[in-house]
Amino acid sequence: MPFPNVRLSNRPLHFIYLCDCSGSMAAQGKMQALNQAIRQSLPGMAEVARENPEARVLVRALRFADRADWHVQEPTPVQQLQWRDLEAGGITAMGEALERLAGVLQSPPMEERALPPVLVLISDGQPTDDFETGLATLMRQPWAQKAVRLAIALGHDADLEVLQQFIGPEPPGGGRSPRRPLQASNATSLARYIQWASTAVVGAASMPASRVQEQGDSNVNIPLPDLPPTLLDPTDDVGPLVW
Amino acid sequence: MSSAWLAPRACSVIGAAHRRQGKPCQDASLTAQLTGQGGQTLQLLAVADGHGSSRSWLSDRGSALACREAERAVAEVLAVTPLEDTTAWETWLASGLAAAVQRRWREAIAADWKQRKPNPPGPLEPVTYGCTLGLVLLAPRWWGCTGLGDWDLVAVTEKGSASLVSEEPSLGPQASGEATASLCLPEGPALWGPRAQLHPLAAQPQLRALVLSTDGVRKSCASDADFLALCGQVIALRSPQELEEGLAQITRQGSGDDVSLAMALRQRPPSRRWPLAAALLLAGATTLAVVGLVRRPTAPPADPVLVQQRALCADPSRIRANLTPRRAQLQQLRRDPSLAAQLLAAPQNDPLGALLARSQRGSLNPCPALEQQLMALWRDAGGKMPAAAQRSNERPPAGDRPAAPGSR
Repeated sequence: MPFPNVRLSNRPLHFIYLCDCSGSMAAQGKMQALNQAIRQSLPGMAEVARENPEARVLVRALRFADRADWHVQEPTPVQQLQWRDLEAGGITAMGEALERLAGVLQSPPMEERALPPVLVLISDGQPTDDFETGLATLMRQPWAQKAVRLAIALGHDADLEVLQQFIGPEPPGGGRSPRRPLQASNATSLARYIQWASTAVVGAASMPASRVQEQGDSNVNIPLPDLPPTLLDPTDDVGPLVW
Repeated sequence: MSSAWLAPRACSVIGAAHRRQGKPCQDASLTAQLTGQGGQTLQLLAVADGHGSSRSWLSDRGSALACREAERAVAEVLAVTPLEDTTAWETWLASGLAAAVQRRWREAIAADWKQRKPNPPGPLEPVTYGCTLGLVLLAPRWWGCTGLGDWDLVAVTEKGSASLVSEEPSLGPQASGEATASLCLPEGPALWGPRAQLHPLAAQPQLRALVLSTDGVRKSCASDADFLALCGQVIALRSPQELEEGLAQITRQGSGDDVSLAMALRQRPPSRRWPLAAALLLAGATTLAVVGLVRRPTAPPADPVLVQQRALCADPSRIRANLTPRRAQLQQLRRDPSLAAQLLAAPQNDPLGALLARSQRGSLNPCPALEQQLMALWRDAGGKMPAAAQRSNERPPAGDRPAAPGSR
């Protein structure tokens, strides 16, 4: 007898950028650096996807300025993604962006078998709308709770407290951690963080390893890889502080 | 005493991802026939799934030891507990066996840790060997299950309909993505209780087989309907090689995770011997039917939805476990009611999906427990199941109508 003919499927891994496109992103080449970093990260991300065929890496991007809107609306296989440049202008409707994000993290459209999504919030400033309500709406979605939530702060004006709220409780002790906002102070460190999130984190999230649900570890959805070196590490030389 | 169960078998196959990464298979499985007082036999199915993360770098050993120690623990219980004492077995499944297996597993991993060369640095942390464990016990007059973690148990009926009997309860909204309960947790024994079940076979005349699997199998299927279809069909495989090759295909085209499956078929009761007079009458009737003097109505095929409904209502504890994973399907039905027609056109392919479709059309007459759960599910989906009063006014299409009592 032949083996049962049923539909088998690899598991979708949703990777979603949330990009601050407020007017301040136009200053000092931040927007240009962000576009370049994302574009340059795509081949590496596609390679990781190729190496992990059990995960189907699907990318989306949400932009927020005066309003929040989808920049890449359809979950797009990373191999097919052509990055169009984001443009800066307006204020920082981060709360609305989180509400829009909550809408796509419902089941459905989220698939039963999906891997925990990876959400990357990138901002250089402070929300100008109701961030708390947006975050509360987002975190009501089980898929948001299960997601790997990362945040990249561009420059010293970024609101680290808000970004930390997005990530979740701060880990005990000091030092660098992917569970704290990653502080990018120039184009080089931004590119390294984007590359890290789109390759090392995607690789870790693609692994089908199950893990123990221990008390008090609700925010560690997958074991996150080590952070890349940055200016904050005194042994590294990644360029001047410009933001 | 002859066994009520046939052809127990188990198979574990390394995941495609682990094969690529040069890692070992972290799943383990076994079947065992244990003999108790007076020669009573008990069949055991076991599957265990090592966690596989970097913290659980010896979880392949952990899962193998879990299966081995579970077999020994069950054998110990069987030596002192008659199979007829179902009350005692219920207690063992809910708590006693949990404590015994966990204690044995911890001793076994401690011994394994101690004899590793070179000596590992630092003291043993049980998470190093962390794994799940699912057990099914098959006695001549009952079956039971217990364990902890994200394994699944599916019952297949004589009609081929499959339904989930046990799955890991939700670990709560804060539970992280791929998290599961584990033998290595200090609170482990307490987590066995919700998975413990014992069912007399006399109460389940339609039960044909039980299929126990690690989470890699279910996660490789495109939907729960596909997973249940797989379980419904896999019991017909006769060759161990077919099963192994099939599991390799599952992980290759699916989740990439290690996959394990253990199953057993129930022995069909011997056909009843007809008394001579009845046999002669039957022979006569058959002859008449052949010459066209008697027209015997052809028995209609069993309605898969009704079979599914009866199976759930006969054991309400299974209703929630079977309906909850169908929330996404319910949402799709709510958004696109035309999907109901597809499900109802071939109810044998997905009886539970067809049951949901009937509930949407109000053409279902469920038992109170099923109705209550369906209403809750529809409410959660932002919709509403037609009320009983409305149902009586809506006549379902003829092919979609459940048979009235006594109509067969």
